[in-house]
Amino acid sequence: MTPMTTPPLVLELSGIRQSFGRTQALRGLDFEARGGEILGIAGPNGAGKSTLVRILAGEESRDGGEIQVTGRAWEPGDSTDRVAVVHQEPQIWTNLTLAENLVVGRESFRFGRARLTPDERQILHELDIEGDADQPLAECSLAVRQRAEIARAIAQEARFFLFDEPNSALTDKESDQLFAYMHELARKGRIVILVTHRLSEMVAHCARVLVIRDGRVTAELGASELTVEAISVELVVGGSVGRGGQLREHRGPELEPSSGTDLGTPPTITKEAVLALRNWSHPKGRFIAVDLDLGPGEIVAVVGVEGSGARELVASTANYAPGTGHRAIAGAEDDRGISRGSVYLPGDRRAMLFGNLSVSENLVVRLGVPEIATEGGFLRRQRLRTLATKLVERFGIRSQGLDAPVGSLSGGNQQKVAIAAAIAREPALLVLEEPTRGVDAGAKGDIYRILRHFVAGGSGVLVYCTEVPEVFELADRVVVVDGGRVSRLMAVADHSDIASLAATIARSEHTAAGPDVVHAAGALSRGPRSVLLPNHDSTDKGPL
Amino acid sequence: MTDETATDMPTRAPPKANRLVPRPILDSLRALGLVFAIVVIAAFFQIQNQAFLSPENVLTIVRSMASLAIIAFAQLLVIIAGELDLSVGAVYGLGATTLAVFWLGVGNVPFQLPLVLAIVVALGVGALAGGINAFFTTVVGIPSFIATLGMLSIAAGLELLLSNASSFNPQYNLPPPSRVELDIFRALGATVLPFRIPIQVLWLAVLFGIFWVLRHRTLFGFRLLAVGGNADAARISRLPVRKYKWIVFVLSGVMAVVAGILDFSYVGSVGPGSGSALTFPVFAAVVIGGASLSGGRGTVIGTLIGATLLAVLRNGLAIMGVGAFAGLLFVGIVTIGAVSFDRLAFGRGKS
Repeated sequence: MTPMTTPPLVLELSGIRQSFGRTQALRGLDFEARGGEILGIAGPNGAGKSTLVRILAGEESRDGGEIQVTGRAWEPGDSTDRVAVVHQEPQIWTNLTLAENLVVGRESFRFGRARLTPDERQILHELDIEGDADQPLAECSLAVRQRAEIARAIAQEARFFLFDEPNSALTDKESDQLFAYMHELARKGRIVILVTHRLSEMVAHCARVLVIRDGRVTAELGASELTVEAISVELVVGGSVGRGGQLREHRGPELEPSSGTDLGTPPTITKEAVLALRNWSHPKGRFIAVDLDLGPGEIVAVVGVEGSGARELVASTANYAPGTGHRAIAGAEDDRGISRGSVYLPGDRRAMLFGNLSVSENLVVRLGVPEIATEGGFLRRQRLRTLATKLVERFGIRSQGLDAPVGSLSGGNQQKVAIAAAIAREPALLVLEEPTRGVDAGAKGDIYRILRHFVAGGSGVLVYCTEVPEVFELADRVVVVDGGRVSRLMAVADHSDIASLAATIARSEHTAAGPDVVHAAGALSRGPRSVLLPNHDSTDKGPL
Repeated sequence: MTDETATDMPTRAPPKANRLVPRPILDSLRALGLVFAIVVIAAFFQIQNQAFLSPENVLTIVRSMASLAIIAFAQLLVIIAGELDLSVGAVYGLGATTLAVFWLGVGNVPFQLPLVLAIVVALGVGALAGGINAFFTTVVGIPSFIATLGMLSIAAGLELLLSNASSFNPQYNLPPPSRVELDIFRALGATVLPFRIPIQVLWLAVLFGIFWVLRHRTLFGFRLLAVGGNADAARISRLPVRKYKWIVFVLSGVMAVVAGILDFSYVGSVGPGSGSALTFPVFAAVVIGGASLSGGRGTVIGTLIGATLLAVLRNGLAIMGVGAFAGLLFVGIVTIGAVSFDRLAFGRGKS
C-alpha cells in the first residue's frame, strides 16, 4: 500500500470532445474528481458515459480537450500511471490463477511459479481473497474475479479507480463489500469514480454525482441536493420535455412526416390480436406467467432494467429467447407462423447489419422469393435496386448512394436501415429492443415517426425500452417487468408529461414483483432498482 | 483489452477514406491489380523464353490450372460462408481412387461396377465427405478447421485402404474395361477440341460460368454473403445459415471429386496421395483472388485470376528450368506477398 499522496490528488477534465463518424459522443465535457471522495457519474442511454470510461481507461484517444492531474497535463494511455477500471465483467486472465493475475506483466521470476511478495499477500488479505490465491480465476466467483481486478490495480499502485457498473451481477452482500472497498480506496486519498444505473446506491455512497446528457455535464449534485428524485429529474427531464410534448401532439393518423419523406402506404393487416400471450414463461424463470394482448395499430413498450426479464420477454415473443405457454402472432401459433408474422431487431446494432454489404443489400437482405428473386432462385437485380431506392426515400435514409458500405452511414441512418429492412418484410408484429440506442435526437424523432406510421396500417410493435421519454413519445401502452413479474398494461395517454409517466413506471416497478413473490433465480433477486437509468452498457445477448 | 461489450455508441466508422468506396469498385480494382501482376510476370517469362506465350504453352497453362480452379471455386463459397475446407486435396485423391477401384474392381474392392455407376459412387463419396464436414461444423459446432482437418486424414486413410496403396491404370488393367467405357473415360479429360484446345478449358469455362452465376446472380449467392459476413445478424434475419453451410461443404466435396476424376482421366492413372499437394494452392488462389478468410467477401473472377497467377508462375518457372522445389517456394512467397499487398493497399481488416 502506498502512503497517501500529498498534495491531494485532483483529476481535472476540460472540454473533452469525441466523435464517431457524424455522431458527437462528447461535446466538451468538464469535470473534476478529487482524491478522498467517491464521484458518481450518471447519464441516460447514449449520453457518452461509455465513451468517457474508455477515454479515461486509455482504450480510446480523444478528438480534443485536456486532462490534468493536480495541475499537470496527464495522458490516460500511460501504462505506468493508468486508471484502473473495474468492469462488470472483469477483464483479467481467467486461465491464470489469482496470484498469477496479480503479477502478470511485472513478474519477478523467470522460472518456477508466480510468487507473491508479502505486500501483495497483504492486498489479497485486505480484500479477503487470500485463500483463493492459487485458484484459476475461471473457477472463482464473479465477486472474487472483480476483487482480483481491484487487487491487481492496487498492486500496480494505481491512483485512479473507475468502477463501471461494477455490481450489476453481484449479490447484495458482495455489493456491500465492494462499496466498503471503494470507501477504503477513497479514504486512502485515491480518486474513485463510480458509473452506475442504480441511483439509490449513488446517493448512499457518492459525495457528488454528475449527470451527463448529450456529451456534456448537465448537472452536479452534492450534499443536500443529492437525492434519487433529484437525479432522476435531471436524467429524465434535462430539457427534453418540450420536444417530447410536441412530438406527441403530432401523432395519430394525420401524422405528417417532418422532412418531406414519403412514408408510403403501410401494410394493412386485419387480424384481431397481433400478439397474444397467455401464461407465457421463461423456462428458467426470467419471466413468469405473462398475459399480454397487443392489438392492431398498437405500440406496447416493455420496460425493465437489465436482468429484470424484460429483454428476454420481448425477444421470446419472436422466438429469439426461450418461452413456454401459449403465444399467437396474427393468429398463428406454430414456429413457421411465428417466423412469418414477426420480425425481431436486437438492441445491438452489430447483430442486425451486415458490414460487408452495401446500403441497398442490407435493406433487402430479409427478403426472398418473390420480392428480390425469381422462383428459380435468380436475383431480380433491377427490382432489388428499385425496392432499395424506394426504402431509402420512404425512410429518409441519408447515404452516399445505394452501393455505399453500410458502415459509412451515421448511427441514426444505420438504425433506419435496420428498421427499414425489418418493415420491408411487412410483418404483423415488429419486435424491437431499444430502437434509438446511440442515435441522435433528430434520427430519434424520425424513427418514432416511422414506427407510428408502420402501425397505422394495423400491424403491431412490441418494444423493449429503457428510457421513459422513449416510452412517452413512442408507446400507446406500457408494461413494467421486475424480477420476472409483469405489471398490468398502462395507457401512456393517461399521463400528461414525462415526469408523471416516470412516476407511474417507478411505482409499478416496485409493485410488479410484490412482496410475496419468490424470486426464481438468484440473479433476479437484487431488490428494487430504479428503471430510470438502467444498465445500457452491457450487452446481454441472451440465448439466441 | 478493449471492451467489446460497451455498445452505447454507434458502430464505429474508422476515418478511412476507402470505407466509402462501394465494394464492387474495390473488387474491380483488386482484379485489375492482379491482372496487371500477371501481365508483368508473363512479360518477364516471355523475355526469358520466347516459347512462353506461344499458343501451345498458353493452352497448357489453362489446362494445368483447370482442376485447381474448379476446386477453388467451391472453396471460395465455403470461405465466403466463413468456413474452411482443408480436406479438398485428400477428397480429390479419394474420389479418383474410388472411381478406379469400383470401376476396375481392384484394390480392396472385389467386384466391378459400370463406369457411370462408379462415377456416381465417387461423386457420392465427395458429397458424403462434405456432408460429414457440414455435420460436425453446423450441428456439433466444432470449428471447420478441425472438422475438415480430420476429414483430410480420414479421406487420405480411406484412399490407402481402398487402393492398398497401389497405382491403377485402366488401360493396362487386367481384365481391361470395355473399349467403350475406356473411351468415355478418356474423353472426360483427354479430349482435344478443335483448334487443339484441351477439354479442360471447356470444363473450366462451364464451371466458371455456373459458379459465377451462383455467386453473383442468385439469391443463394447474395444470402451467402450475408451468412458469412455476420452470422449473428443472419440468424436474426432468419436466413438459413445451417442449410447454406451444408450446401457449400457438400459442393466443395463434390467439386474436389470432379477435379480428381478429370485429372485421373487426363493422366490415365491414379496413385496414392495424388491430391496432397493441392490443398495449399487452392487456398492460395482463393485468397490471392481477394476473398476474406473471415467470411462475407470474395468473387469468382478473383479466384480464377488467383489460380491463373499461380499457374503462370509455375509454368514459367518450369520453362526456365528452375525446378519444382523452387516453384513451391515461389508460390508461397507470391501468396503472402499478394495478400500483404492487398492489405496494405486497401487497408482492410484481417484477411
